[in-house]
Amino acid sequence: MKKVILLVSAVVMMIVLLAACSDDGNGESVQQPGTTPQEAGNAEETQDTAAQPQDGETVTITFFNTSAEINDVFEEMFARYNELNPNVIVELIPTGIGGGQQEQLQALYAGGNAPTILNVDPVNVIEYAVHLAEFTQENSPWLWTYGAEGVVEAGTFDGRVLGAPWSVQGFGLLYNVRVVNEIFGGNFDRNTINTQDALRDFLETVEAAGVAGTLLHGANWSMGAHFLSLAYALQGTASSDGINFLYSLMDGTQNIEDCPIWRGLMDTFRMLVEHNYNRNDPLVANYDQDVLAFGEGRSATMFMGDWAWSVMGGFQGVDQEYGFLPVPWSNNPNDYGNTQIVMVIPKLNAVDASRSTPEQRQAAFDFLGWMHTDPEGQQFLLDAGFFMPFTNVRDDIEYNSMVQATAWYADQGRTINFGVFDYISADVWIETGNLMLQYMSGFITRDQLAEGINSYWRAQQ
Amino acid sequence: MKEKVRLRDIGSFSVFVLPSLFVFSAVLLAPMLYGVYLTFTDYNPIHGASNFVGFQNYREALTDTVFFRQLGITIRYVIFSTILSNLVAFILAYLLTSKIRLKGLARTGFFTPNLIGGIVLGFIWRLIFSNVLTVLGQQFDIGILSTSFLTHPDRAIHALIIVTVWQYAGYLMIIYMAGFMSIPKDVQEAASIDRATGLRKVFSITIPLMVPSFIICLFITISRTFMTYDLNLSLTGGDPFGSSRLATMHIFQMAFQGGRFAVGQAQAMILFVVVAVIAVSQVLLAKRFEVES
Repeated sequence: MKKVILLVSAVVMMIVLLAACSDDGNGESVQQPGTTPQEAGNAEETQDTAAQPQDGETVTITFFNTSAEINDVFEEMFARYNELNPNVIVELIPTGIGGGQQEQLQALYAGGNAPTILNVDPVNVIEYAVHLAEFTQENSPWLWTYGAEGVVEAGTFDGRVLGAPWSVQGFGLLYNVRVVNEIFGGNFDRNTINTQDALRDFLETVEAAGVAGTLLHGANWSMGAHFLSLAYALQGTASSDGINFLYSLMDGTQNIEDCPIWRGLMDTFRMLVEHNYNRNDPLVANYDQDVLAFGEGRSATMFMGDWAWSVMGGFQGVDQEYGFLPVPWSNNPNDYGNTQIVMVIPKLNAVDASRSTPEQRQAAFDFLGWMHTDPEGQQFLLDAGFFMPFTNVRDDIEYNSMVQATAWYADQGRTINFGVFDYISADVWIETGNLMLQYMSGFITRDQLAEGINSYWRAQQ
Repeated sequence: MKEKVRLRDIGSFSVFVLPSLFVFSAVLLAPMLYGVYLTFTDYNPIHGASNFVGFQNYREALTDTVFFRQLGITIRYVIFSTILSNLVAFILAYLLTSKIRLKGLARTGFFTPNLIGGIVLGFIWRLIFSNVLTVLGQQFDIGILSTSFLTHPDRAIHALIIVTVWQYAGYLMIIYMAGFMSIPKDVQEAASIDRATGLRKVFSITIPLMVPSFIICLFITISRTFMTYDLNLSLTGGDPFGSSRLATMHIFQMAFQGGRFAVGQAQAMILFVVVAVIAVSQVLLAKRFEVES
């Protein structure tokens, strides 16, 4: 008995000891280097006082990066920035491609080690809004001076500018220019694909020539975040149109099957599924293999975005010329979406206010200004193949053909506003994307798909 | 004098027990208790601050039909993995303790999969299921192999079970081999004198004397397969469309991607209770079959 009492009291002692060591949430135990506890505690209130780092004092800021494919690019960029500004050190907090990014950021915040700069999806900026500092004309004049049209709005949530975008990406039906020209005798005009019937004729002609009409990547992110979300984005040209549609699904005033755009899109989807290169085993979802098959001309089109170049560019013996086709959902060429492709802002840079000092915040805004709008900073991202939404970007850049295809639509204003993407969290695309995959592979009917989508959104109120 | 002995006891207790007790409390007990506490709050890692909400999270966890569906799939996975891996391990151990050639090599070969981590194992088998078997299936026109195991809801679970058996069989084999070798020779000889041969000896002598090995192996497989996450993540990732998501992955999805941390934590507690009840009752039940040689 005595032994048990001794053991229990020792355990209790340990737990008390551990509890005493843990952070009580006032930020003192995770105080940033070079600050007094008072400064750290007051960080939230004094967030907009632009204070320049004083001479000789080194400011260290951290950069949490979810654009995992370019961790190296950021490291080189930060090293160069440090050469130019010896008193500012930017440290990279890298993440891996694919999973684990959200959890890593949650762990940093829960542990009181919030990064100074976040490079995250727009939906995360909404989630972390209470912790973020606002971009203003005083602390970040570059955003207003050089931001292309819509750039400031893209990072504005509830009237506060919390994020700055640094790249724009397009997605739709990518087509292989060589393959299509061979089949259509060299005179294919992408403008002709503006109705469902035109797309059907196109796919049938291609299949008759022995090439698969299209390639659908059977992953929930592609089908959920991109294809299904088209139905939300096409509700209107303003972001709010799509977002209000989502709210109407949530509160039950709208059922997805009552929406003609969704019904039309699902007809198009069925058509694509029938001509899918992967139709024998549609859910393999091997990204590299799919991109390779498309690059080698085994399918004429692929539902994907210009980011596919980051993989395609690494392959030998694949075609180099690609263009975009819209995903038409009706037979009226004038319907919104039948002649446009989606433009999406995949990532936003945000600055944390909860754990940073005013010096760190200003250093972060200044660094972002250099990265986004200084020719030398921009060059790192341009070299990595990104299309940057700033007015002072060099105009002699040779972009890859996929980015050029996006720019071709952007130049003509033929773009779909994908502001609704701000509400497409990982949970949304995993759950609704899985429903799309079930429909794609014939495990559920369209009615069951609609029911699944409705009940998913109803549960999100 | 008595006082001195007592002091010495406390001294040796502090030296030998306190360090491990500290580690045990720090990495197991404290997080566990904190986890229990979180299930009664609306904690969220982004906003941190939490309010007491009573049993709300448990109510939500218990009304999550998907969780119970995934728990059902997990139980099916656990049952098949446990039976098959123990059966395979037992047969391997039996063969490798009898007189056959190249025993050492075979032993190493069968044990190796256990040394490969779950994540790597998953990626290796993913390649085999999706790229090797499908090519074979298409070449030789074998219907079942021509499409990937990982793209069909039922077959994805079968794939998980196959890899789990492959991973654990070698490890369990070692425990069974130790069991085989610890059976006293005289009992075997006595059985032989009584003209018991082959299977009769296995069922009447070997198996009853090896109950302790079975208890250990069953406990290991049941508790580990219930907690499988790494293999699930890298082999199927829950695909196709979430059908091969085991309970742990559902909890992870709920907590971190669905943003409902406390509900996920409550489901983790439910899973803990289920596993504890099954594993402990298995041990207690099996103890009844133990015999002395």
